[in-house]
Amino acid sequence: MPIFDANFWSERCRQVFHRYAESLLRQVAAQLYRQRNRWPLEELLVRCVDTFSNPAVIDRRLADLDPAPRKVLALIGRSRRPMWQMGQLLEMLSALGNAEGPRPVFALLEHGLLLPDSSPEGPTRKSFDQWLGSAATSGLRVFAHPNVTARALNQELGLPHLSPAIEEVTHIHEADGLDWLLRLAAVWQMIAGAPLRQTQGGALFKRDQDRLRNDPLLSSPLADSPGQLPDVPLLAVRWAVQESILEENEAELSAGDLPPAWNSGLDPALESLWIALLQVDRWSPQTGGLEASYSADPYPTAYLLALLLLANLGESEWVHPAVVEQWILEHHPYWSTDDPNPASQSADADRASRAAALLSSRGARGLLAPFLLGLAHALRLVQIAMDLQGEWVIRLTQFGRRLLGFTAAGDGAPNSPKTLLVQPNLEIIAYRQGLTPKLIAALSRFAAWKSIGSACTLQLQPDTAYRALETGWTFESILQTLDQYGMRPAPASVIESLRTWANKRERLNIYASGALFEFAAPEDLDEAVSRGLAGIRLSPRLLLVKSEDQIDFRHFRLTGTRDYSLPPDQCVEVGTDGVTLTIDPARSDLLLETELRRFAEFVDRPGPNGHRQYRLTPSSLAAGRTGGLGLHALETWFQQRTGRPLTAAARLLLTGSLEEPLPLRQELVLQVSRPEVADGLLQLPATREMIQGRLGPTALVIGPEQVEPLRERLRELGLDLQR
Amino acid sequence: MTDQGRTTPQTRIPAKLHRRVCLIQTEDAVLAEELLARAKLAQEIVGRLTDCVLLIRPGRVEAVVQELRKMGHTPSVINGH
Repeated sequence: MPIFDANFWSERCRQVFHRYAESLLRQVAAQLYRQRNRWPLEELLVRCVDTFSNPAVIDRRLADLDPAPRKVLALIGRSRRPMWQMGQLLEMLSALGNAEGPRPVFALLEHGLLLPDSSPEGPTRKSFDQWLGSAATSGLRVFAHPNVTARALNQELGLPHLSPAIEEVTHIHEADGLDWLLRLAAVWQMIAGAPLRQTQGGALFKRDQDRLRNDPLLSSPLADSPGQLPDVPLLAVRWAVQESILEENEAELSAGDLPPAWNSGLDPALESLWIALLQVDRWSPQTGGLEASYSADPYPTAYLLALLLLANLGESEWVHPAVVEQWILEHHPYWSTDDPNPASQSADADRASRAAALLSSRGARGLLAPFLLGLAHALRLVQIAMDLQGEWVIRLTQFGRRLLGFTAAGDGAPNSPKTLLVQPNLEIIAYRQGLTPKLIAALSRFAAWKSIGSACTLQLQPDTAYRALETGWTFESILQTLDQYGMRPAPASVIESLRTWANKRERLNIYASGALFEFAAPEDLDEAVSRGLAGIRLSPRLLLVKSEDQIDFRHFRLTGTRDYSLPPDQCVEVGTDGVTLTIDPARSDLLLETELRRFAEFVDRPGPNGHRQYRLTPSSLAAGRTGGLGLHALETWFQQRTGRPLTAAARLLLTGSLEEPLPLRQELVLQVSRPEVADGLLQLPATREMIQGRLGPTALVIGPEQVEPLRERLRELGLDLQR
Repeated sequence: MTDQGRTTPQTRIPAKLHRRVCLIQTEDAVLAEELLARAKLAQEIVGRLTDCVLLIRPGRVEAVVQELRKMGHTPSVINGH
């Protein structure tokens, strides 16, 4: 979602308000902008949303609130993430000493300053209690318009000034912020080549887990960070999902696109990473990968509180990570006691000792140390240094203060330094001090990362160049990037390779879903082009248009339409002879005559109405049989294309050679006067055995050798045989 | 043969529209022959509209692209609507 696109969030608010029942909307509007008139519902909705663009009204509404609800908005604003789980907001409030449960959140909902996250197609909300009850499985998520939270930043959160604060330090180090951008770009490239497969529960298959863990780029330690993280490759994948670098569907994770924020400079790119980090699931800084996500994940709120604690220090003050951890353990409800009187002094002592015990049980890794000394440092949120005892200490960076809204935004991105060295062997060396998120994104599109360090290396390859060309890059734009950032011009051999790969792509075009105009005469095609129909002439009568959006149908009278995404249409009429097939030109398609030529012969003379005809012949069907066409396939074709079963004549032509020989013999017919006479002759034993069959009610078949014996028998019965 | 009365600027041009067609257009006829000679690819090609245009079986674009890449080609895939 766009981070701070006010229009996006205004539209989101409008969609949620639209789901409010009229009574609820009027109730909220009365609190939000103190409506005096009874406006129509649509007008009410517009005015509610417009309020978010009116700072003066927002300030007045904030002033009406108690401190706890204002703290909620301030926390959201400081986090830079407009949407949170309600439980997480309550956790942070509780850590700040406001343990009155959901009342502050409900106060904000009733004032319209916080909105429940719900689908635009969801049910109508009659009350917030209804929403509370209905969102049990999907989670209770709420969001605030960024314009509102921006006005609440002045609210004091009541965080303490941590001590001891240290001022004498050495070996100050601030990361360049590029480490995770490089890793996520590497993840994107890896998954673009082969998606990751997931189980139904959302865990990765073991083979893909091994693929990640064995990748040298992803599993390399964080540069210059004393805090090492568990399962770094898995964190990279989950983080990439939240950044929309990877797309998650039911069974796999596939490559998405690199975030647009990366093109806007380092601060926006890191801000985007920070917001995504707050949503990372299935990973913990303590244990690494988790089999499933869980709604009570305390770490996002712990991260934010930790940074806010550091923001309370002076700019020249440092603190040990363990001090931050201690405070979190003592106050964050996930780790602290559930003492009914958390404000009591004995509860304070209990919490402190429990926190200390928990910290010592974690050993050197600590609870938040991996985040503070690892992630936060790599994201350029904190600086690290050593105190006089050689212990690590931390403080917030200027970027960290800007991110949390304590100082104004910085200047725009610096000018592009020359930082690339393109080797004749297609290797690119990218010196880290000149890299920017925008350049990282660009390089990721047309080259493959090989190593990440103070000098990163990439390799230009046919498949990476091809991937870039597929996504809109050209030979010229790739070359321009190399020249713009290169310390010297790209070698001729590199240019030649890029040109060859780009040219190869021009040799074959695949139109996956084009629109093809078939004209009756070449002159019609010419006329269509002269009227502005843009396309590619495939033949004198065929014009290919890349997209139907480009067609002005007013110029055309469609004599037929065929959609190739649908099953084949019935477009063939079978003649009375069972073997002549007449094409209906209005309904036929380009595939039909190719199919017909497999087993039928074209008839030179057109049929009725001038329609083209084909005929089944023994030789044409024999050719079809040789080409693999069987009885079943032909039956299927007939049903699809003619709407009737295979004709008897066609079946006979196809299978005649497989029939047994047909016996031919001479037989005599005895014609009697009445059916009863024939019945009697068939019944009498004396005559029955001489009769071979019955052709009809009064016609019997006898063999020539039975004539005289039958004459005798008939004479005995008083019947004469006439021949 | 031209027909002066066939169409005028006011009349509509008769035409048949084939929608969502899958085609390969090659640079030259020799390349088209090369593709047709490839057995796995030939299974997916249902016809040759012109010397350089081959009709692909509906829904088989991805398979065709994969096979072309195995052959060392880098086809440009144009998705229309």
